[in-house]
Amino acid sequence: MMKVVTGVVGNDIHVVANRLIDISLQARGFEVFNLGVNTSLEEFIDAAVETDADILLISSLNGEAEGWCRDLQFLRSEYALKDVTFVIGGNLAVGEAKQSDLAPKYKSYGFDLVFHQVDLNTGLDEIERYMSERS
Amino acid sequence: MSKLLIDVGSTYVKVCQKSGISQYFRDFKKDIYDDLVTKCGDIFSKYAKEDIFICSSANGGLSTLIIGLTNSFSLKFAQNIAFNSGINIIDTVLYSKIEESKYPAELVDVVIVVGGIDGIGNVFDKRLLDYLQNIRYSNIVYVGTSQDAGFLSMHIPALKVLGNIITPKLHINEGELKEYLTNLYQADIVGKEDIKHLYALTANQIYSTPYVVNRSLSQIDANFDVVNPFIVIDIGGATTDIHYSHDLVRDNIVSESGYDRLVFKKLGVYKSRETLIFAAKNNEFVYELLAYLHVTENILEEESEKALRILMQLSIFLVLYKVSRLNPQYVTLHLELLETIVLTGGITKVLVFEEVEAIIGFFYKKVMNIHSIPNIVMDFDYAIWTIGMEDNEPKEQKCL
Repeated sequence: MMKVVTGVVGNDIHVVANRLIDISLQARGFEVFNLGVNTSLEEFIDAAVETDADILLISSLNGEAEGWCRDLQFLRSEYALKDVTFVIGGNLAVGEAKQSDLAPKYKSYGFDLVFHQVDLNTGLDEIERYMSERS
Repeated sequence: MSKLLIDVGSTYVKVCQKSGISQYFRDFKKDIYDDLVTKCGDIFSKYAKEDIFICSSANGGLSTLIIGLTNSFSLKFAQNIAFNSGINIIDTVLYSKIEESKYPAELVDVVIVVGGIDGIGNVFDKRLLDYLQNIRYSNIVYVGTSQDAGFLSMHIPALKVLGNIITPKLHINEGELKEYLTNLYQADIVGKEDIKHLYALTANQIYSTPYVVNRSLSQIDANFDVVNPFIVIDIGGATTDIHYSHDLVRDNIVSESGYDRLVFKKLGVYKSRETLIFAAKNNEFVYELLAYLHVTENILEEESEKALRILMQLSIFLVLYKVSRLNPQYVTLHLELLETIVLTGGITKVLVFEEVEAIIGFFYKKVMNIHSIPNIVMDFDYAIWTIGMEDNEPKEQKCL
């Protein structure tokens, strides 16, 4: 069973979305470690280390993600996390922004998959496809 | 022949003779035995070893080094448990940086190794073993993933393996580690090398001061203006202990002292200023309390007499808070039934009655929503421990 650490990054309390992601992941057979809302980037990374997670799925609904996730490469380098897939999804910008513009930016921060204003199930389908191709 | 009673504290040594109690500030450059002999050698020469009784709370608290996998879980959980058990944390090592970490120069009382939820393995490897070979420690306990317990037990002599403090849902599991550390602390007080040297002075068993204070409780109402149910709060230089009437609890707790009605319960150690401030800053009422005392949180960083008084007041508040219904981690006392609060230890040398009354008033008003407070008794002369020490002897031999 694949292990997923998830939660909402930064000063963001969109708990309903967080619960929906948790339930959907469990329904698809993932083992979920839900850190809940208001989670710092360091806590995400640390949870992935403690659980030996396969996927780190960060959600952000209020557009703050960019400010919180710039240090991902730095924090990743603190541990040997080569095998963890880093995913971010939700509403990833303040104001209007396109997926095609945001994806390269977040990938440069260290994310493998980026979903800006993408339907939850579509995003989870993509994660499953990506993980299956990786293995 | 009279008896000579000695209480070795972390900051003062109290000596009780028939003529009264005197106290001496500890010289930390000397070990306890040399310090005592230098200051009280003349007094000791007047007594036979059989007539000298010693209790000690000196060097109370253990030092620990925590090696953990991450800051947010392993180290954070272990630090919380250690603080709650009265343990002084001398350092923490993040496992991913263990090869670059410094080795503590002093002997560590207990090393705590933690990391990973149960179900994952190969968290710890040779790097841990190499690091441990370069440090000196008395005890080592492993509270991480159960998968690594076998490997570590095989390579680390005398490793104590307890249940993982990180649950499968990444929550904290305090139970076993907290109990282990608390027991280690109790055993340590009477077993310190410094204290063992004191057997050159006495032919009697050396007890820990909390044990001796607890023994005095059944006689306390005969010596003080105390009405049951009561609590005794002993705040000294190193430790804070609370002793309480069993009437205040509805749990079925077995008394460690073996005395009816009363139970000794250690709450934790404020050996260092940092430990006390750590506890204070984590309390939800602390900023309101500081405002009530007309100071800001900057006082916690100051080194002044006023800062000391504020810290002492904070410690009274924290002790009461820890045993209140707001903090279910510890035994919950029915403080609304409390008739008397007795304060003893070094705090009685620092605070005046009005300062104690103010802080207890604040506690009862804000936490208990009660506007009247229990009767306050301050044991200015350390009389409580002398009662407990005297109680070691048959009544006909009492001379004090």
